[in-house]
Amino acid sequence: MIKIKITRLNFSYNDHYVLKDITAEFQENSITAIVGPSGTGKSTLLMTLNRLWEGIPNARMNGKVEIRFAGTLYDIYDRYYSLPELRKLVGMVFQTPNPLPMSIYRNIAFPLKLAGHKKKDDISDRVEQALKDVYLWGDVKDRLSENALGLSGGQQQRLCMARALILEPDILLLDEPTSSLDTKAGGVIEDLLQIIKGRCTILVVSHYLDQVKRIADTVMELSNGAFIKGEA
Amino acid sequence: MTRPVDKLIIILSWISGIMLLGAISSIIGYLLIKGIGAIKLSLIFGETNPFDALLLKKQVFDGIFPAIAGTFSLVILSVGFAVPVGLASGIYLSEYAGPKIKKVFNFFFDILAGIPSIVIGLFGFSMAVFLHKHLSQYIFPCLLISSLCLAFLVLPYIVRTTQVSLENIPEQIRLTALALGATKLQNIFYVLIPKSLSGIVSGVILSIGRCAEDTAVIMLTGVVATAGVPKSILSHYEALPFYIYYISSQYSNTEELLSGYGASIILLAICSFFFFIAFLVRNRLKYHAFYRM
Repeated sequence: MIKIKITRLNFSYNDHYVLKDITAEFQENSITAIVGPSGTGKSTLLMTLNRLWEGIPNARMNGKVEIRFAGTLYDIYDRYYSLPELRKLVGMVFQTPNPLPMSIYRNIAFPLKLAGHKKKDDISDRVEQALKDVYLWGDVKDRLSENALGLSGGQQQRLCMARALILEPDILLLDEPTSSLDTKAGGVIEDLLQIIKGRCTILVVSHYLDQVKRIADTVMELSNGAFIKGEA
Repeated sequence: MTRPVDKLIIILSWISGIMLLGAISSIIGYLLIKGIGAIKLSLIFGETNPFDALLLKKQVFDGIFPAIAGTFSLVILSVGFAVPVGLASGIYLSEYAGPKIKKVFNFFFDILAGIPSIVIGLFGFSMAVFLHKHLSQYIFPCLLISSLCLAFLVLPYIVRTTQVSLENIPEQIRLTALALGATKLQNIFYVLIPKSLSGIVSGVILSIGRCAEDTAVIMLTGVVATAGVPKSILSHYEALPFYIYYISSQYSNTEELLSGYGASIILLAICSFFFFIAFLVRNRLKYHAFYRM
């Protein structure tokens, strides 16, 4: 079933077009790799799916982006559509690990706090489960109150994934999630993606063709701001 | 290998830092040498029993306790008025204002920062006279007018430090909370303000220091030589900076001059106390925002 439908999407920064006439569909519960040379708009494409580009000055977009939530396709650029609600359903992990300057526990619990969860036991249980899902619980269970910035790069990236996954999003966007990690840490992330694709639809930007071949169900190549091919 | 120009800059930087430390040490050292002998209970409470004075059972006539109470009241009120307004203005300028409005507001805040304190004092006096004539005969230069004028004086410090601290937060941290489903307001209160606390508290500390020491404003807006402990915010009051000013200009014997030095040390101690409270509050807020389980 189609999870994301993009129709004639154009995107520009300061009148310079980065994405031109993009039309694409992404299947539910699959991993789609978006590849292409640097500067072709891969990260920008991800940001159009959670509207994170809207704080950037002189950025313009037109076209349609529809996402299926609970069986219904919604135009996420409809002016009545709630941005915070969209971003809770469309999680994002950035290229560089970006834990907030908080304790490990507070980093993972933060999305729950934003969503209004108050019961401490419930939050505690979900934090523990999220850390177990990303194979980080064993490393950090005795130091949850320590600053997350003290973790290694690989651990920080897994923490960011746990934080993105704790609200059980429908879609997970990953912008080169292993580019700043060593091979071993990157391998752990790839294994994780295979496990969680059963729960959500994953779009991953990657420069590594080997990685793409290992993990992706579908590959889409961007060049000069347009899709030139997609293949299984 | 360090170039000669780099070496010169390093040397000059060290000299500047040492000069600054030397100046601060000289002032504090001089005050301590001259005034430490004058720090006695009699300087603060005169001939009144300290407990009676602290419990406000008896007035203190020949000690600086009323001036200490007046200074405490003045700083608490002024900072109490200035911090919420300054914080809100700084947040608005950083997070909500468009470029044109930002330019206009920054221009006016720069002008406000440059207004001499005596002019603000004159403004406060005029305001008191106007209110006395047109609103209520019970309004005259008083603790409230002084506090409002001092708040006016220190507002630019808080606005500017808040604005700059928020604007200097890296884009990645700003986007992180938004990407997790935060509203703009949640992002500001849960992430951006706690991250900027050090900068904001610096502005508050500058304001505390300014409110505690400024004499020009309070001379025209309510401070007097003898008024006792302030009875209400609409009463006259005493203050340490004014005490130090008139004692040092009108002393009739060495003992009185030494009491001026003693009062200066006490004023520094009061400022240090407020700075300590500010740091405590900052650390507590940071802990609650970032580390509490």
